[in-house]
Amino acid sequence: MIDLAWLAWTFLWLSFLAVGGGLGVLPEMQRQVTSFGWVTAQQFVDGYSLAQLTPGPNMLVAIFVGYHAHGLLGAAVAGAAMFLPASVVAALAARYRDRLRQLRWAQALEQSLLPIGVGLMAAGTYTLTRSAVHDWLTAAIAVAAFAVLWRGVLPPIAVVVLGGVVGWLAGA
Amino acid sequence: MRHVSLSRLIRAFAWTGLTSLGGGRSAYFHDQVVVRRPWLTNREFAQDFTLSQILPGPNSSNLGVVIGYRLAGGRGATVAALALLLPGALALLALTIVYFKFGLTPDARPFLRGMGAAVVGLVAMACARLALDVVRTPGAAVVALITFAAVGPLHVNTGLAILLALGVALLLRRRGVGWPAADAEGSPG
Repeated sequence: MIDLAWLAWTFLWLSFLAVGGGLGVLPEMQRQVTSFGWVTAQQFVDGYSLAQLTPGPNMLVAIFVGYHAHGLLGAAVAGAAMFLPASVVAALAARYRDRLRQLRWAQALEQSLLPIGVGLMAAGTYTLTRSAVHDWLTAAIAVAAFAVLWRGVLPPIAVVVLGGVVGWLAGA
Repeated sequence: MRHVSLSRLIRAFAWTGLTSLGGGRSAYFHDQVVVRRPWLTNREFAQDFTLSQILPGPNSSNLGVVIGYRLAGGRGATVAALALLLPGALALLALTIVYFKFGLTPDARPFLRGMGAAVVGLVAMACARLALDVVRTPGAAVVALITFAAVGPLHVNTGLAILLALGVALLLRRRGVGWPAADAEGSPG
């Protein structure tokens, strides 16, 4: 019971650390979950691979850790702690924003934030490129994916899975 | 707040939840609610994306909640989060059980490498679409570039970088430098 509470508390504060992308919080998460003995370091790495292989946010890895620590209940508790409180905060922010929008200065603020959003997305693209493109093969896959998606002939999922298959064939 | 029916919202978000593989979830959202459905403009998407980045918590679920709220209020936010998270959660739970019961060791590295590279193309495309539509004035371009440089190559803390860029943006607007005071960009959604 106490361990379940620790599980909930740990993923709760880890979720709030994940500002601007989950990647930053991974090292700390690995440290926490292994120091409690919920999973080993190797298991955590494997769990993160599984989270990448399944759709949805990679932070769902909380479910993997929770399951090993406490079975199905642990999985549910860890997953809820990771997503529920942060989602409530996001909904409250969205609601508050709806009210603010009536005000002139808030409109100016929102307009100013627009190009910042574009810059943030570009920065995310940069970070992702640095971590995912390391040779001519991965560069070629990225460029090809861009070209195919730009024409809009295939849905994103098809292109991403195709990229995976190409990487798998080339790596084998 | 707009009014999109909950069932259509569920369909769009469950599809995103089921198919958003390999990071860069925001690009999948963009595809669903801007490109394939006329629910959000690029400008509105950029607003929601920025908000989800500023908020603490996992980014992609934040983005889903914020868009869900915009489209259908509190119920929309709830439904969006569930539709987005449950498919992946169940799939991962199944794999987790297989992993611990049967000791399956995932050597998916070559596959993940290719997938990650394709996601770079996907995110770059969503970003290009957004930039072409939202960044229309020199002032906006400068602010976008400052944000990019600070958060990307220079590794400045995201919150700090946003404050800095916001300061520059407000200053440029006030002075009317590269950012016409009579906003040619239309009103915010």
